[in-house]
Amino acid sequence: MASNTAVTVRVDEAHVYYRVYEDPAAGIKKLFSEGRTRRRFRTIRALRGVSLELRESETLGLIGANGSGKTTLLSAMTGLLPLESGSILGRSRPSLLGVSSALRPALSGRRNILIGGLALGFTKSEIETRADEIIDFSGLRDAIDRPMRTYSSGMRARLQFAIATARIPDVLLIDEALTVGDEDFRRRSAERINEIRSAAGSVVLVTHIMAEIDRYCDRVAWLDEGILKAVGEPGEVVGAYLASTAAC
Amino acid sequence: MSGRDQRLFDLTQPPPPAAYLREAWRRRDFAIQVPAQDLRAQNMGTALGQLWHLANPALLVGVYFLIFGVVIDTSRGVENFLGFLIVGVVLFHLTQRVVVDAAVCISRNLGLIRSVQFPRILLPVAALNGQTAAFVPALALALVAVIVTGELPSLRWLALLGVLAAQFLFNLGAALLVARIGANVADLRQLLPHLFRLLFYASGVIFSVDAFVTSEAWRRVFALNPLYDVITCARWCLLGEPVDGWVVAGMLAWCLVLPVAGFLVFRRSDQRLGA
Repeated sequence: MASNTAVTVRVDEAHVYYRVYEDPAAGIKKLFSEGRTRRRFRTIRALRGVSLELRESETLGLIGANGSGKTTLLSAMTGLLPLESGSILGRSRPSLLGVSSALRPALSGRRNILIGGLALGFTKSEIETRADEIIDFSGLRDAIDRPMRTYSSGMRARLQFAIATARIPDVLLIDEALTVGDEDFRRRSAERINEIRSAAGSVVLVTHIMAEIDRYCDRVAWLDEGILKAVGEPGEVVGAYLASTAAC
Repeated sequence: MSGRDQRLFDLTQPPPPAAYLREAWRRRDFAIQVPAQDLRAQNMGTALGQLWHLANPALLVGVYFLIFGVVIDTSRGVENFLGFLIVGVVLFHLTQRVVVDAAVCISRNLGLIRSVQFPRILLPVAALNGQTAAFVPALALALVAVIVTGELPSLRWLALLGVLAAQFLFNLGAALLVARIGANVADLRQLLPHLFRLLFYASGVIFSVDAFVTSEAWRRVFALNPLYDVITCARWCLLGEPVDGWVVAGMLAWCLVLPVAGFLVFRRSDQRLGA
Protein backbone atom coordinates (compact mmCIF):
# COMPACT_ATOMS: atom_id res chain seq x y z
CA MET A 1 0.00 0.00 0.00
CA ALA A 2 1.35 3.41 -0.95
CA SER A 3 1.67 5.01 2.45
CA ASN A 4 3.43 8.16 1.34
CA THR A 5 0.29 9.74 -0.10
CA ALA A 6 -2.00 11.82 2.14
CA VAL A 7 -5.05 10.32 3.81
CA THR A 8 -8.42 11.74 2.74
CA VAL A 9 -10.64 9.73 5.08
CA ARG A 10 -9.68 7.58 8.05
CA VAL A 11 -12.14 5.12 9.52
CA ASP A 12 -10.94 3.82 12.86
CA GLU A 13 -12.60 0.86 14.64
CA ALA A 14 -16.05 2.01 13.54
CA HIS A 15 -19.05 0.21 15.01
CA VAL A 16 -22.55 0.96 13.72
CA TYR A 17 -25.57 -0.75 15.27
CA TYR A 18 -29.17 -0.47 14.18
CA ARG A 19 -31.99 -1.11 16.58
CA VAL A 20 -34.84 -2.57 14.62
CA TYR A 21 -38.32 -3.44 15.71
CA GLU A 22 -39.29 -7.02 15.05
CA ASP A 23 -42.86 -7.86 14.34
CA PRO A 24 -43.38 -11.40 15.61
CA ALA A 25 -45.97 -13.32 13.62
CA ALA A 26 -48.44 -13.46 16.46
CA GLY A 27 -51.77 -15.17 16.10
CA ILE A 28 -54.65 -15.40 18.51
CA LYS A 29 -53.45 -18.81 19.63
CA LYS A 30 -50.05 -17.49 20.54
CA LEU A 31 -51.65 -14.62 22.39
CA PHE A 32 -53.40 -17.10 24.67
CA SER A 33 -50.41 -19.37 25.10
CA GLU A 34 -47.91 -16.63 25.94
CA GLY A 35 -50.26 -14.26 27.66
CA ARG A 36 -49.29 -11.33 25.51
CA THR A 37 -47.09 -10.53 22.56
CA ARG A 38 -44.53 -7.92 23.27
CA ARG A 39 -42.68 -5.68 20.94
CA ARG A 40 -39.17 -6.91 20.48
CA PHE A 41 -36.22 -4.81 19.54
CA ARG A 42 -33.17 -6.42 18.10
CA THR A 43 -29.76 -4.91 17.58
CA ILE A 44 -28.24 -5.43 14.17
CA ARG A 45 -24.48 -5.03 14.23
CA ALA A 46 -23.99 -3.61 10.75
CA LEU A 47 -20.35 -2.63 11.23
CA ARG A 48 -18.25 -4.35 13.85
CA GLY A 49 -14.94 -2.56 14.12
CA VAL A 50 -13.98 -1.47 10.63
CA SER A 51 -10.70 0.37 10.12
CA LEU A 52 -9.80 1.72 6.72
CA GLU A 53 -7.85 4.57 5.17
CA LEU A 54 -8.63 6.29 1.91
CA ARG A 55 -5.73 7.97 0.18
CA GLU A 56 -5.31 10.68 -2.39
CA SER A 57 -5.76 9.70 -6.03
CA GLU A 58 -7.15 6.26 -5.43
CA THR A 59 -10.32 4.39 -6.25
CA LEU A 60 -11.24 1.82 -3.66
CA GLY A 61 -13.65 -0.96 -4.56
CA LEU A 62 -15.92 -2.24 -1.82
CA ILE A 63 -17.26 -5.77 -2.26
CA GLY A 64 -19.16 -8.26 -0.14
CA ALA A 65 -22.42 -10.19 0.02
CA ASN A 66 -25.77 -8.45 0.44
CA GLY A 67 -26.16 -7.22 4.01
CA SER A 68 -22.43 -7.24 4.69
CA GLY A 69 -22.43 -3.52 5.61
CA LYS A 70 -21.20 -1.85 2.42
CA THR A 71 -23.93 0.79 2.21
CA THR A 72 -23.74 1.35 5.98
CA LEU A 73 -20.02 2.04 5.68
CA LEU A 74 -20.65 4.61 2.93
CA SER A 75 -23.36 6.34 4.97
CA ALA A 76 -21.12 6.41 8.02
CA MET A 77 -18.36 8.03 5.97
CA THR A 78 -20.65 10.92 5.05
CA GLY A 79 -21.32 11.46 8.77
CA LEU A 80 -25.00 10.65 8.32
CA LEU A 81 -25.00 7.70 10.71
CA PRO A 82 -24.15 7.91 14.39
CA LEU A 83 -21.32 5.58 15.41
CA GLU A 84 -21.67 3.27 18.37
CA SER A 85 -17.93 3.63 18.90
CA GLY A 86 -14.81 4.41 16.90
CA SER A 87 -14.17 7.47 14.79
CA ILE A 88 -14.32 8.68 11.23
CA LEU A 89 -12.04 11.56 10.29
CA GLY A 90 -11.73 13.28 6.96
CA ARG A 91 -10.19 16.32 5.36
CA SER A 92 -13.52 17.15 3.70
CA ARG A 93 -17.02 15.74 3.90
CA PRO A 94 -17.40 12.85 1.42
CA SER A 95 -20.44 13.04 -0.79
CA LEU A 96 -22.59 10.10 -1.70
CA LEU A 97 -23.55 9.84 -5.34
CA GLY A 98 -27.27 9.92 -4.71
CA VAL A 99 -29.45 12.81 -5.68
CA SER A 100 -32.09 10.48 -7.05
CA SER A 101 -34.21 10.87 -3.92
CA ALA A 102 -34.47 14.64 -4.44
CA LEU A 103 -35.73 14.41 -8.00
CA ARG A 104 -39.37 14.76 -9.01
CA PRO A 105 -40.59 12.36 -11.73
CA ALA A 106 -43.42 14.68 -12.79
CA LEU A 107 -41.05 17.52 -13.66
CA SER A 108 -38.84 17.88 -16.70
CA GLY A 109 -35.19 16.90 -16.78
CA ARG A 110 -34.21 20.55 -16.84
CA ARG A 111 -36.18 21.38 -13.70
CA ASN A 112 -34.75 18.31 -12.04
CA ILE A 113 -31.26 19.57 -12.74
CA LEU A 114 -32.23 22.65 -10.73
CA ILE A 115 -33.74 20.63 -7.88
CA GLY A 116 -30.92 18.09 -7.72
CA GLY A 117 -28.29 20.82 -7.88
CA LEU A 118 -29.93 22.75 -5.05
CA ALA A 119 -30.03 19.59 -2.94
CA LEU A 120 -26.28 19.21 -3.52
CA GLY A 121 -25.63 22.73 -2.27
CA PHE A 122 -25.38 24.75 -5.47
CA THR A 123 -27.08 28.13 -5.64
CA LYS A 124 -29.63 28.77 -8.36
CA SER A 125 -27.26 30.91 -10.42
CA GLU A 126 -24.45 28.35 -10.14
CA ILE A 127 -26.75 25.71 -11.59
CA GLU A 128 -27.89 27.99 -14.39
CA THR A 129 -24.31 28.51 -15.53
CA ARG A 130 -23.62 24.77 -15.41
CA ALA A 131 -26.91 23.49 -16.81
CA ASP A 132 -25.62 23.16 -20.38
CA GLU A 133 -22.59 21.24 -19.27
CA ILE A 134 -24.74 18.87 -17.21
CA ILE A 135 -27.16 18.33 -20.11
CA ASP A 136 -24.29 17.62 -22.49
CA PHE A 137 -22.70 15.18 -20.10
CA SER A 138 -25.98 13.32 -19.62
CA GLY A 139 -26.42 13.16 -23.39
CA LEU A 140 -30.13 13.92 -22.98
CA ARG A 141 -30.42 17.20 -24.84
CA ASP A 142 -33.40 16.03 -26.91
CA ALA A 143 -35.31 14.75 -23.88
CA ILE A 144 -34.40 17.41 -21.35
CA ASP A 145 -37.77 19.21 -21.41
CA ARG A 146 -39.79 16.03 -21.09
CA PRO A 147 -41.09 14.89 -17.69
CA MET A 148 -38.55 12.62 -16.06
CA ARG A 149 -41.07 9.83 -15.62
CA THR A 150 -41.08 9.36 -19.40
CA TYR A 151 -37.35 8.52 -19.33
CA SER A 152 -36.06 4.98 -19.52
CA SER A 153 -34.25 3.78 -16.40
CA GLY A 154 -30.92 4.17 -18.18
CA MET A 155 -31.70 7.76 -19.15
CA ARG A 156 -32.76 8.56 -15.61
CA ALA A 157 -29.56 7.11 -14.21
CA ARG A 158 -27.48 9.13 -16.69
CA LEU A 159 -29.20 12.35 -15.62
CA GLN A 160 -28.65 11.51 -11.97
CA PHE A 161 -24.98 10.76 -12.49
CA ALA A 162 -24.53 13.98 -14.47
CA ILE A 163 -26.18 16.07 -11.73
CA ALA A 164 -24.43 14.30 -8.87
CA THR A 165 -20.97 14.80 -10.34
CA ALA A 166 -21.54 18.38 -11.51
CA ARG A 167 -19.26 19.46 -8.72
CA ILE A 168 -16.12 17.39 -8.51
CA PRO A 169 -16.05 16.36 -4.85
CA ASP A 170 -12.87 15.59 -2.97
CA VAL A 171 -14.20 12.21 -1.90
CA LEU A 172 -16.96 10.58 -3.91
CA LEU A 173 -18.88 7.53 -2.68
CA ILE A 174 -20.71 5.50 -5.31
CA ASP A 175 -23.25 2.85 -4.36
CA GLU A 176 -23.83 0.65 -7.41
CA ALA A 177 -24.54 3.47 -9.80
CA LEU A 178 -22.30 2.72 -12.74
CA THR A 179 -23.97 -0.41 -14.02
CA VAL A 180 -26.52 1.61 -15.93
CA GLY A 181 -26.23 3.39 -19.23
CA ASP A 182 -24.82 2.36 -22.55
CA GLU A 183 -21.16 1.81 -23.39
CA ASP A 184 -20.66 5.45 -24.41
CA PHE A 185 -22.02 6.72 -21.11
CA ARG A 186 -19.92 4.27 -19.14
CA ARG A 187 -16.82 5.59 -20.89
CA ARG A 188 -17.72 9.13 -19.87
CA SER A 189 -18.43 8.01 -16.30
CA ALA A 190 -14.97 6.47 -16.18
CA GLU A 191 -13.51 9.79 -17.36
CA ARG A 192 -15.36 11.64 -14.59
CA ILE A 193 -13.96 9.25 -12.00
CA ASN A 194 -10.47 9.70 -13.40
CA GLU A 195 -10.94 13.48 -13.17
CA ILE A 196 -11.66 13.17 -9.45
CA ARG A 197 -8.64 10.98 -8.99
CA SER A 198 -6.33 13.27 -10.88
CA ALA A 199 -7.56 16.19 -8.75
CA ALA A 200 -6.06 14.22 -5.82
CA GLY A 201 -9.45 13.05 -4.58
CA SER A 202 -10.63 9.56 -3.65
CA VAL A 203 -13.47 7.44 -4.92
CA VAL A 204 -15.17 4.54 -3.14
CA LEU A 205 -17.14 2.24 -5.39
CA VAL A 206 -19.57 -0.35 -4.05
CA THR A 207 -20.28 -2.97 -6.67
CA HIS A 208 -21.19 -6.58 -7.29
CA ILE A 209 -19.73 -6.52 -10.76
CA MET A 210 -16.14 -7.65 -10.81
CA ALA A 211 -15.59 -6.14 -14.27
CA GLU A 212 -16.11 -2.71 -12.67
CA ILE A 213 -13.40 -3.49 -10.15
CA ASP A 214 -11.01 -4.25 -13.02
CA ARG A 215 -12.01 -1.12 -14.80
CA TYR A 216 -11.87 1.43 -12.00
CA CYS A 217 -10.24 0.25 -8.80
CA ASP A 218 -6.68 0.49 -7.49
CA ARG A 219 -7.50 -1.27 -4.25
CA VAL A 220 -10.32 -3.46 -3.02
CA ALA A 221 -11.83 -3.94 0.44
CA TRP A 222 -13.98 -6.97 1.21
CA LEU A 223 -16.64 -6.64 3.89
CA ASP A 224 -18.17 -9.71 5.46
CA GLU A 225 -20.89 -9.41 8.13
CA GLY A 226 -19.66 -6.05 9.28
CA ILE A 227 -16.00 -7.00 9.44
CA LEU A 228 -13.30 -6.10 6.96
CA LYS A 229 -12.09 -9.43 5.73
CA ALA A 230 -9.34 -8.24 3.40
CA VAL A 231 -7.94 -5.06 1.87
CA GLY A 232 -5.40 -4.94 -0.90
CA GLU A 233 -4.58 -5.68 -4.52
CA PRO A 234 -7.78 -6.05 -6.58
CA GLY A 235 -6.71 -9.39 -8.07
CA GLU A 236 -5.97 -11.02 -4.72
CA VAL A 237 -8.98 -9.75 -2.79
CA VAL A 238 -11.47 -10.44 -5.58
CA GLY A 239 -9.96 -13.92 -5.98
CA ALA A 240 -10.38 -14.67 -2.27
CA TYR A 241 -13.93 -13.28 -2.29
CA LEU A 242 -14.97 -15.33 -5.29
CA ALA A 243 -13.38 -18.44 -3.81
CA SER A 244 -15.38 -17.96 -0.60
CA THR A 245 -18.68 -17.54 -2.45
CA ALA A 246 -17.96 -20.59 -4.59
CA ALA A 247 -17.20 -22.62 -1.48
CA CYS A 248 -20.66 -22.24 -0.01
CA MET B 1 0.75 8.20 11.71
CA SER B 2 2.12 11.01 9.61
CA GLY B 3 1.98 14.71 10.41
CA ARG B 4 -0.07 15.33 7.26
CA ASP B 5 -3.19 14.12 9.00
CA GLN B 6 -3.57 17.25 11.10
CA ARG B 7 -6.12 18.63 8.70
CA LEU B 8 -8.54 15.79 9.30
CA PHE B 9 -11.70 16.65 11.23
CA ASP B 10 -14.34 14.48 12.85
CA LEU B 11 -17.01 13.76 10.24
CA THR B 12 -19.55 12.46 12.72
CA GLN B 13 -19.80 15.73 14.65
CA PRO B 14 -22.41 18.33 13.68
CA PRO B 15 -21.16 21.79 12.68
CA PRO B 16 -21.33 24.48 15.41
CA PRO B 17 -24.51 26.65 15.49
CA ALA B 18 -23.00 29.65 13.69
CA ALA B 19 -21.65 27.48 10.88
CA TYR B 20 -25.00 25.69 10.78
CA LEU B 21 -26.94 28.90 10.21
CA ARG B 22 -24.37 30.14 7.69
CA GLU B 23 -24.67 26.92 5.70
CA ALA B 24 -28.48 27.05 5.85
CA TRP B 25 -28.39 30.63 4.56
CA ARG B 26 -25.95 29.74 1.79
CA ARG B 27 -28.36 27.02 0.67
CA ARG B 28 -31.48 29.19 0.95
CA ASP B 29 -32.29 28.76 -2.77
CA PHE B 30 -33.18 25.15 -1.94
CA ALA B 31 -35.93 26.23 0.46
CA ILE B 32 -37.35 28.63 -2.13
CA GLN B 33 -36.98 26.89 -5.48
CA VAL B 34 -37.85 23.33 -4.49
CA PRO B 35 -41.29 24.18 -3.02
CA ALA B 36 -41.92 26.48 -6.00
CA GLN B 37 -41.29 23.58 -8.37
CA ASP B 38 -43.49 21.32 -6.25
CA LEU B 39 -46.33 23.82 -6.45
CA ARG B 40 -46.03 23.78 -10.23
CA ALA B 41 -45.98 19.98 -10.32
CA GLN B 42 -49.06 19.78 -8.10
CA ASN B 43 -51.54 20.98 -10.72
CA MET B 44 -49.82 19.70 -13.83
CA GLY B 45 -52.17 17.79 -16.07
CA THR B 46 -55.32 19.41 -14.63
CA ALA B 47 -57.63 21.42 -16.90
CA LEU B 48 -57.38 24.58 -14.82
CA GLY B 49 -53.64 24.17 -14.24
CA GLN B 50 -52.11 26.87 -12.05
CA LEU B 51 -55.55 28.53 -11.71
CA TRP B 52 -56.27 25.95 -9.01
CA HIS B 53 -54.23 28.01 -6.58
CA LEU B 54 -57.04 30.57 -6.88
CA ALA B 55 -59.99 28.22 -7.42
CA ASN B 56 -59.20 26.11 -4.36
CA PRO B 57 -59.53 28.83 -1.70
CA ALA B 58 -62.56 30.24 -3.55
CA LEU B 59 -64.33 26.88 -3.37
CA LEU B 60 -63.31 26.41 0.25
CA VAL B 61 -64.82 29.75 1.27
CA GLY B 62 -67.83 29.14 -0.99
CA VAL B 63 -68.68 25.92 0.83
CA TYR B 64 -68.36 27.53 4.27
CA PHE B 65 -70.47 30.49 3.16
CA LEU B 66 -73.16 28.19 1.82
CA ILE B 67 -73.38 26.27 5.08
CA PHE B 68 -72.73 28.89 7.74
CA GLY B 69 -73.95 32.00 5.94
CA VAL B 70 -77.00 30.62 4.14
CA VAL B 71 -78.15 27.25 5.50
CA ILE B 72 -77.25 27.68 9.19
CA ASP B 73 -76.93 31.33 9.97
CA THR B 74 -74.01 31.88 12.35
CA SER B 75 -73.58 35.50 11.30
CA ARG B 76 -74.87 36.87 14.61
CA GLY B 77 -73.11 40.11 15.52
CA VAL B 78 -71.23 40.41 12.22
CA GLU B 79 -72.00 43.10 9.66
CA ASN B 80 -70.09 41.78 6.67
CA PHE B 81 -70.26 38.03 7.12
CA LEU B 82 -68.67 37.04 3.79
CA GLY B 83 -65.68 39.32 4.46
CA PHE B 84 -65.51 38.06 8.05
CA LEU B 85 -65.60 34.43 6.90
CA ILE B 86 -63.07 34.70 4.08
CA VAL B 87 -60.43 36.41 6.23
CA GLY B 88 -60.84 33.75 8.92
CA VAL B 89 -60.85 30.77 6.57
CA VAL B 90 -57.88 31.90 4.48
CA LEU B 91 -55.61 32.70 7.44
CA PHE B 92 -56.60 29.60 9.39
CA HIS B 93 -56.00 27.44 6.34
CA LEU B 94 -52.50 28.85 5.87
CA THR B 95 -51.30 27.79 9.31
CA GLN B 96 -53.02 24.43 9.01
CA ARG B 97 -51.33 23.69 5.67
CA VAL B 98 -47.91 24.75 6.95
CA VAL B 99 -48.16 22.57 10.04
CA VAL B 100 -49.51 19.51 8.25
CA ASP B 101 -46.80 19.82 5.59
CA ALA B 102 -44.06 20.33 8.18
CA ALA B 103 -45.18 17.24 10.12
CA VAL B 104 -44.26 15.00 7.19
CA CYS B 105 -41.35 16.97 5.74
CA ILE B 106 -38.73 14.76 7.41
CA SER B 107 -40.33 11.38 6.67
CA ARG B 108 -41.14 12.38 3.10
CA ASN B 109 -37.51 13.32 2.45
CA LEU B 110 -35.84 10.38 4.19
CA GLY B 111 -34.10 9.34 0.99
CA LEU B 112 -32.55 12.77 0.64
CA ILE B 113 -31.66 12.97 4.33
CA ARG B 114 -29.89 9.64 4.14
CA SER B 115 -27.84 10.51 1.08
CA VAL B 116 -27.04 14.23 1.27
CA GLN B 117 -25.58 16.21 4.15
CA PHE B 118 -27.33 19.58 4.54
CA PRO B 119 -28.91 21.59 7.37
CA ARG B 120 -32.24 19.80 7.89
CA ILE B 121 -33.87 23.08 8.89
CA LEU B 122 -34.23 23.71 5.17
CA LEU B 123 -36.99 21.09 4.98
CA PRO B 124 -39.53 22.67 7.38
CA VAL B 125 -38.58 26.11 6.02
CA ALA B 126 -39.28 24.85 2.50
CA ALA B 127 -42.68 23.59 3.66
CA LEU B 128 -43.37 27.01 5.17
CA ASN B 129 -42.25 28.85 2.04
CA GLY B 130 -44.28 26.64 -0.29
CA GLN B 131 -47.51 27.03 1.65
CA THR B 132 -46.94 30.76 2.11
CA ALA B 133 -46.48 31.17 -1.64
CA ALA B 134 -49.66 29.17 -2.26
CA PHE B 135 -51.42 31.52 0.20
CA VAL B 136 -50.74 34.65 -1.89
CA PRO B 137 -53.56 34.05 -4.42
CA ALA B 138 -55.92 33.21 -1.54
CA LEU B 139 -55.00 36.48 0.19
CA ALA B 140 -55.62 38.42 -3.02
CA LEU B 141 -59.00 36.74 -3.30
CA ALA B 142 -59.83 37.71 0.29
CA LEU B 143 -58.87 41.34 -0.31
CA VAL B 144 -61.03 41.51 -3.44
CA ALA B 145 -63.94 39.90 -1.59
CA VAL B 146 -63.62 42.37 1.27
CA ILE B 147 -63.66 45.33 -1.12
CA VAL B 148 -66.55 43.96 -3.17
CA THR B 149 -68.62 43.50 0.00
CA GLY B 150 -68.36 47.20 0.73
CA GLU B 151 -65.19 47.86 2.77
CA LEU B 152 -63.03 50.79 1.72
CA PRO B 153 -59.25 50.38 1.85
CA SER B 154 -57.82 52.67 4.52
CA LEU B 155 -54.52 53.26 6.28
CA ARG B 156 -55.53 50.61 8.80
CA TRP B 157 -55.08 48.02 6.05
CA LEU B 158 -51.33 48.59 6.26
CA ALA B 159 -51.37 47.05 9.74
CA LEU B 160 -52.32 43.81 8.04
CA LEU B 161 -48.70 43.52 6.91
CA GLY B 162 -47.65 43.41 10.55
CA VAL B 163 -50.27 40.78 11.36
CA LEU B 164 -49.15 38.64 8.43
CA ALA B 165 -45.52 38.98 9.50
CA ALA B 166 -46.49 37.85 13.00
CA GLN B 167 -48.36 34.88 11.57
CA PHE B 168 -45.36 33.99 9.40
CA LEU B 169 -43.11 33.93 12.46
CA PHE B 170 -45.64 31.86 14.37
CA ASN B 171 -45.88 29.46 11.44
CA LEU B 172 -42.08 29.19 11.29
CA GLY B 173 -41.88 28.23 14.95
CA ALA B 174 -44.78 25.80 14.66
CA ALA B 175 -43.24 24.21 11.53
CA LEU B 176 -39.90 23.63 13.27
CA LEU B 177 -41.49 22.10 16.36
CA VAL B 178 -43.91 19.93 14.45
CA ALA B 179 -41.20 18.76 12.01
CA ARG B 180 -39.05 17.71 14.95
CA ILE B 181 -41.88 15.85 16.70
CA GLY B 182 -43.28 14.36 13.49
CA ALA B 183 -39.87 12.91 12.63
CA ASN B 184 -40.00 10.62 15.66
CA VAL B 185 -43.72 10.31 16.40
CA ALA B 186 -45.49 9.22 13.25
CA ASP B 187 -48.79 9.28 15.16
CA LEU B 188 -48.75 13.06 14.96
CA ARG B 189 -50.10 12.82 11.42
CA GLN B 190 -53.23 11.14 12.71
CA LEU B 191 -53.66 13.60 15.56
CA LEU B 192 -53.22 16.85 13.64
CA PRO B 193 -56.59 16.85 11.81
CA HIS B 194 -58.38 16.53 15.14
CA LEU B 195 -56.28 19.22 16.75
CA PHE B 196 -57.05 21.57 13.88
CA ARG B 197 -60.77 20.81 13.97
CA LEU B 198 -60.75 21.81 17.62
CA LEU B 199 -58.69 24.92 16.87
CA PHE B 200 -61.06 25.78 14.02
CA TYR B 201 -63.95 26.20 16.43
CA ALA B 202 -61.78 27.80 19.11
CA SER B 203 -60.53 30.43 16.66
CA GLY B 204 -63.90 31.85 15.68
CA VAL B 205 -63.34 31.18 12.00
CA ILE B 206 -67.05 30.81 11.23
CA PHE B 207 -68.64 32.78 14.06
CA SER B 208 -67.91 35.85 16.13
CA VAL B 209 -66.54 34.78 19.50
CA ASP B 210 -67.49 38.20 20.92
CA ALA B 211 -71.14 37.63 20.04
CA PHE B 212 -71.26 34.26 21.79
CA VAL B 213 -68.80 34.68 24.66
CA THR B 214 -69.64 37.58 26.92
CA SER B 215 -67.57 36.74 30.02
CA GLU B 216 -64.34 38.75 30.19
CA ALA B 217 -62.45 35.82 31.74
CA TRP B 218 -63.42 33.48 28.91
CA ARG B 219 -62.31 36.01 26.31
CA ARG B 220 -58.86 35.97 27.90
CA VAL B 221 -58.78 32.21 27.55
CA PHE B 222 -59.54 32.62 23.85
CA ALA B 223 -56.67 35.10 23.61
CA LEU B 224 -54.27 32.24 24.46
CA ASN B 225 -55.08 30.71 21.09
CA PRO B 226 -52.58 32.12 18.56
CA LEU B 227 -54.86 31.56 15.59
CA TYR B 228 -57.74 33.37 17.26
CA ASP B 229 -55.36 36.27 17.92
CA VAL B 230 -54.09 36.46 14.34
CA ILE B 231 -57.53 36.16 12.76
CA THR B 232 -59.09 38.70 15.12
CA CYS B 233 -56.29 41.22 14.47
CA ALA B 234 -56.56 40.71 10.70
CA ARG B 235 -60.33 41.30 10.88
CA TRP B 236 -59.73 44.50 12.78
CA CYS B 237 -57.37 45.67 10.01
CA LEU B 238 -59.69 44.88 7.11
CA LEU B 239 -63.20 45.01 8.53
CA GLY B 240 -62.95 47.16 11.65
CA GLU B 241 -64.12 44.29 13.86
CA PRO B 242 -63.34 44.87 17.56
CA VAL B 243 -60.02 43.76 19.07
CA ASP B 244 -58.65 44.09 22.61
CA GLY B 245 -55.20 44.34 24.14
CA TRP B 246 -55.12 40.72 25.30
CA VAL B 247 -55.49 39.50 21.76
CA VAL B 248 -52.68 41.72 20.44
CA ALA B 249 -50.42 40.76 23.34
CA GLY B 250 -51.17 37.08 22.76
CA MET B 251 -50.25 37.34 19.08
CA LEU B 252 -46.98 39.15 19.81
CA ALA B 253 -45.98 36.70 22.52
CA TRP B 254 -46.59 33.69 20.29
CA CYS B 255 -44.74 35.12 17.31
CA LEU B 256 -41.69 36.06 19.38
CA VAL B 257 -41.36 32.95 21.54
CA LEU B 258 -42.29 30.12 19.21
CA PRO B 259 -39.66 30.65 16.44
CA VAL B 260 -36.84 30.77 19.00
CA ALA B 261 -38.12 27.70 20.83
CA GLY B 262 -38.63 25.92 17.52
CA PHE B 263 -35.12 26.67 16.32
CA LEU B 264 -33.47 25.53 19.55
CA VAL B 265 -35.44 22.28 19.65
CA PHE B 266 -34.94 21.53 15.96
CA ARG B 267 -31.26 22.36 15.80
CA ARG B 268 -30.42 20.20 18.80
CA SER B 269 -31.54 17.02 17.06
CA ASP B 270 -30.66 18.00 13.50
CA GLN B 271 -28.05 15.27 12.98
CA ARG B 272 -30.25 12.53 14.37
CA LEU B 273 -33.35 13.25 12.30
CA GLY B 274 -34.20 10.34 10.07
CA ALA B 275 -31.19 8.29 11.17
